Amino acid sequence: MKLNRPSQDAEIPTSTMADIAFLLIIYFMVTATFAATRGLDFALPKDDDSPPIVEKEDSVLIEIQPDGQYVVDAKAMRLEEIFDYLKPKLEANPKKPVILRPQPNSNYGYMVDVFDTLRHIKVRTLDNGAREAYQVTSAQIREAEEQETDLGKDVNVSIPTQREIDAFWF
Amino acid sequence: MRLKSKHRAGALIPTASMADIAFLLIVFFMVTISFEKDKTQVTLPSTELRFEIPKEVATISITRHGQIRVTKGEAMSTPAQMEDVLGFASDLALQYPGRAVVLKADSDVPYEKVDKVLDSLKQARVELIYLLSDAEKVADDGP
Repeated sequence: MKLNRPSQDAEIPTSTMADIAFLLIIYFMVTATFAATRGLDFALPKDDDSPPIVEKEDSVLIEIQPDGQYVVDAKAMRLEEIFDYLKPKLEANPKKPVILRPQPNSNYGYMVDVFDTLRHIKVRTLDNGAREAYQVTSAQIREAEEQETDLGKDVNVSIPTQREIDAFWF
Repeated sequence: MRLKSKHRAGALIPTASMADIAFLLIVFFMVTISFEKDKTQVTLPSTELRFEIPKEVATISITRHGQIRVTKGEAMSTPAQMEDVLGFASDLALQYPGRAVVLKADSDVPYEKVDKVLDSLKQARVELIYLLSDAEKVADDGP
């Protein structure tokens, strides 16, 4: 038995500490990147005291059928055709309300598709005073946010709920 | 000068500070991380336009079978019935005025359910809603 060694330095083994720490880092990195944190924003009317009075004749009505068909002002349309239909109307009146009315049994995804399309449309005033409705890309929007430039007005989209429709419309 | 104590010093890489660096990184990640408060698996609708959602938000998730889970953004989400959503939204508006609500609904959920949730949020005067979405798939070979 070699117990008679005079004085050995007491050492705490710290070499595994780094390994443990790096494992923890990897765990945090993996969980951090998987959270989905992007989406479409959608502002609701601020004051409920004044009910959203939408005049049916003045607005564009986009109905979404259960099979995913879009009916714009009683005409069936494809998603890409909606912009061409809205363009002259928005240039005449940039505040023209666009009403989205998905059928109760249509898929939520179809509504998001139309909403996404509508969010791409902006109305800007040109130098000669004329208005132009145009489609922007998400890259343009990001750029405009960084440089704080104005791309123009958004389309006035409203998505009335069934209760509101029952209460105010008919 | 006491140089004679050890005649052979082994080549050593100083690894003691490695743990310090690693722990600093851990602290950084822990501070910046925001844990997903709702772990419901849903197939999100895909959109081309996607905006960054703030960290402090309430979440309402709806699965394709219509199961709802809600969280105010502080604790993990809890299951709820459709009738509870209005109460939840009113509580939220009282407790955290101005806090946005993220709607994490499955793309195939019948719109009727989303409509009821939106109606509750409108009645509770929630001001801002985010529709959580995925990035658009590239070159969908549809019709």
